[in-house]
Amino acid sequence: MSATSDAVSMPLPQARRARPASALFTLARRRALLTSRTPRQIAVPLVGPALLALILAPALQKATGGLHSHIDYTSFVGVGAIGLVIPLSCVFAGLSVLVDRHSGAQRELLAAPIPRAYLVLGNMVVALVLAALQAIVVVGLSALRGGVFHITIVGVAWFMAAALLFTVFMYALAETVASRVTKEEDYIGATPVLAILPFFFAGALFPIGAMPGVLAAIAKAMPLTHALALLRYGFIDPAGKGLHDIWGMSNVTLEAWLSLAVVALFAAALTVIAIRVFSRSAVK
Amino acid sequence: MTTIEVRGLRKTYPGGVEAVKGIDFDVEPGEVFGLLGPNGAGKSTTIGMLTTTVAPTGGSARLAGYDVAKQPLQARSVSSVVFQEPVVDGSLSGRENLELHARLWGVDSARAARRIEELVQVLGIAELIDRKVDSYSGGQRRRLEIARALVSKPQVLFLDEPTVGLDPRIRHELLDVIAGLRAREDVTILVTTHYLDEAQRLADRVAIIHHGEIVALDRPEALLAGLGEEILEFRVERDAESAVELLRSLGVAGPDAFAVGARVTVALHGRPAADALQEIDKHHLRPSEIQVRRPTLDDVYIQLTGTRFDEAA
Repeated sequence: MSATSDAVSMPLPQARRARPASALFTLARRRALLTSRTPRQIAVPLVGPALLALILAPALQKATGGLHSHIDYTSFVGVGAIGLVIPLSCVFAGLSVLVDRHSGAQRELLAAPIPRAYLVLGNMVVALVLAALQAIVVVGLSALRGGVFHITIVGVAWFMAAALLFTVFMYALAETVASRVTKEEDYIGATPVLAILPFFFAGALFPIGAMPGVLAAIAKAMPLTHALALLRYGFIDPAGKGLHDIWGMSNVTLEAWLSLAVVALFAAALTVIAIRVFSRSAVK
Repeated sequence: MTTIEVRGLRKTYPGGVEAVKGIDFDVEPGEVFGLLGPNGAGKSTTIGMLTTTVAPTGGSARLAGYDVAKQPLQARSVSSVVFQEPVVDGSLSGRENLELHARLWGVDSARAARRIEELVQVLGIAELIDRKVDSYSGGQRRRLEIARALVSKPQVLFLDEPTVGLDPRIRHELLDVIAGLRAREDVTILVTTHYLDEAQRLADRVAIIHHGEIVALDRPEALLAGLGEEILEFRVERDAESAVELLRSLGVAGPDAFAVGARVTVALHGRPAADALQEIDKHHLRPSEIQVRRPTLDDVYIQLTGTRFDEAA
């Protein structure tokens, strides 16, 4: 036997690697530790939405007399504020991807024996937890100011599903943009477009039927519109008026499933794109 | 089995910049291998390809038998890297950074804890390991990064310009630490550097890389031996290249003599320096700033590439 074939037949050393769940947990734990040491990342996205729920919603209810329907306006805007807090929270979380790349341990993580998709997913887990806590705070503040919520198990399930999928979508969008831009200034410049602009179209402060037809049509194509209609369906609008404004059907459960499917589709597509863009940008 | 096997490895960046032009080398188990070259020579790109953060455009590379392009997870699992620039989570403590590495490389908690205690003692960072890394000095950070790379007991350790940016005292301390690693760790080390003395001090073998190509590969002493025991260096007022040609034609200089700017360097190969100088004087070269000294890797580099090491970047 030749030396070459001897070398080929030698067993390779065992490649020790972390189990997938352990690797994901480690990455999520790292992100949680980093986030907890940057309190502004938790507090800043909450300020605007909290003021909406605490000040703007009750004041507008008093000034305008509300929605003139079965839905209480304070709670309508309270849930609408979640349409601002989740995008802001996710965009802030995306900023830490840039920080990681420029002055953090991203290269060390890229050299780790784990699939690079885990780096995106580990960050996403923390973005989900953070957004959930912030959504709870916003709903709590709205309730403190007199917002009326109808909490049922089924309603909570719709609310959680919509919030979770919308957060996945928003975080994946933020991560995609963070992977594409090179400078933090460029990313911060994109924040209003990513996080604030959709809020004005998606029926956060008023039903989308109040907008001209063209704008309403644009709103119906946005995942935030579907997410807000589902969040309200879960907590304050069991009749599904917001869902009906989108779909115009008579079966509210079907409308809810369709909206959930839209948000899920956006979430899945953006997650795939985020992983692909990150993996490509990480390797030169 | 060869621990690092590189065959025709090539990287052309978008835009056509050929950073690495098909290099070949092997590194044996337990060897310290130096990749020596000025900034921009292709050292970091080579490390990037070996650590799978740069995609090769040609050739192949194996770490402990694992192909870096086809089996990147396995290749990464047997290696660790200390990057040229600091790559740490500054708001975490040193210990948290080490634990993170251990978990991602599949080291169980108990073993990781023992290993961390051992390494922080060896690297002299035990006192500060629970402090935030943001408060570390450059040298302390480097020690932490070396400790982190060793937590997983890698078979291959990549050190990419490990002492760059450090002040001379810290640099020498760190070189001692790295030199000590080979005595206590069963690890193959590939170190890149643009400091000639560093390569000479640390490496068993050195590959000199110039514009993406390996121009020489041997033990440092073998590379130096090519120029003999002593070299004669002097400055001339006339064209140094033509002075070299003249000295060659007279038999004073061999083919390994070279000129850079106004300086002429002649390997003596046992000939007394006084004899050579007498011959030089006879031909009115009017040498000044005459030095007779031992050759360095800088001389080897200039002889091979035609440029001074610090001018090549």
